[in-house]
Amino acid sequence: MAGTPAVRIDHYEWPGGREAMLRLGPPGAPTVIAALPFFEEGNRTRAAMVDVLRRLAAHGIAGALPDLPGTGESLTDTADATLSAWRNAFAAACAHLGEPVHICAWRSGALIDGEAPAASRWYLAPQSGEALIRELSRLRHLSGGTDIAGNAISEDLIAALAPAEPITTGRLRVARLQGDAKPADCLLPGRPLWRGSEPDTDSALQQAVADDIAAWIKSMLA
Amino acid sequence: MIPESKPEVDATVRAVLKDVLALSDDQVASFDDTTPLFGALPELDSMAVAGVLTEIEDRLGIVIDDDEVDGDMLETFGALTTFAASKTLA
Repeated sequence: MAGTPAVRIDHYEWPGGREAMLRLGPPGAPTVIAALPFFEEGNRTRAAMVDVLRRLAAHGIAGALPDLPGTGESLTDTADATLSAWRNAFAAACAHLGEPVHICAWRSGALIDGEAPAASRWYLAPQSGEALIRELSRLRHLSGGTDIAGNAISEDLIAALAPAEPITTGRLRVARLQGDAKPADCLLPGRPLWRGSEPDTDSALQQAVADDIAAWIKSMLA
Repeated sequence: MIPESKPEVDATVRAVLKDVLALSDDQVASFDDTTPLFGALPELDSMAVAGVLTEIEDRLGIVIDDDEVDGDMLETFGALTTFAASKTLA
C-alpha cells in the first residue's frame, strides 16, 4: 500500500437522504471521485480503489469515494437500490466536492456518472449494462439461487441496467488491462481484480492507474 | 488482439486461469490437456467459474451461452481450450 495520508469520513446529501463519503488528499486540489463496480465486483475492488486514491494524494490530487444508496454504510437496503437513485446520489456527491471534479469509474461504475457535473472521466474496463446483466444471470444460473452471489437485487434495478451504457462524450479516457481485446486509449498491466474469488490488491496495477490518472489530469491543467 | 490459432487460444485460457484464480506462473505452465480443473482445483468454485468464462469471453471476443456450460467443458484444461477454440476459430 502507498503512504498514509489522512483519511476522513465526510457526508453528502442527495434528495433521497444522506450518505457517507471517504475523503483523502489535500484540500483545494483537483478531486478524483471514484465509482466502484456494482455488487460483488465492488467488494473485490474497494481496497484497490482506495489505494489508488492514496497514490493520487501522493500526486497532490484529492480523492473521494462516496457510498451509494444501498451500498457500504448506507441505511438503504440493497434490495431497494435503484439505478436512478445511484445516478442522482453520485451527481450530488460530485456537486458536494466543488470543482473541478474528475471521475474515476471502474467496470459498471461507469454506468452511474452520466448526470454528474465532471471535468473529465477516466474509465477502467467500462462495462455496459447488458454485459453486467449477462454476468449476473450467469452467476444466478451457476449458483442455483434466487439472489445473485448474496446480493438481493430488485427486478426494477435489473430492468434499468439492461439498456445502460457508459458515457462516451466529453473528456474521456478509457483504460483496459493488457489482453482485453476491446478498444482502449491505454492498456495497463495487471490482473482483473474484479473477477477474483476474494478481494485482492495489485500494487503495480494501482500505481499504474494512479500515474495514468495523474498524468491525464495534469495534461488538462497544462 | 483476438487469438487466431489453437496455441494462442491455449495461451489465453492459461492466462485467464492464472489471473482469475490467482494461480502461480509455475502452476499454470504445468497444465496440459489432461490436467483436471473443475472439482480438482480448489480455487475453481461456481463463482470463479462465472469469472473464468466471462473473462474468456472478453479476451477471445466470443459469447458462451449458459446452456453450453456443463461439467464436461470444465473437466480438464484440454476440454476447456478445445471448447474455447471451437468458438473462437469457427
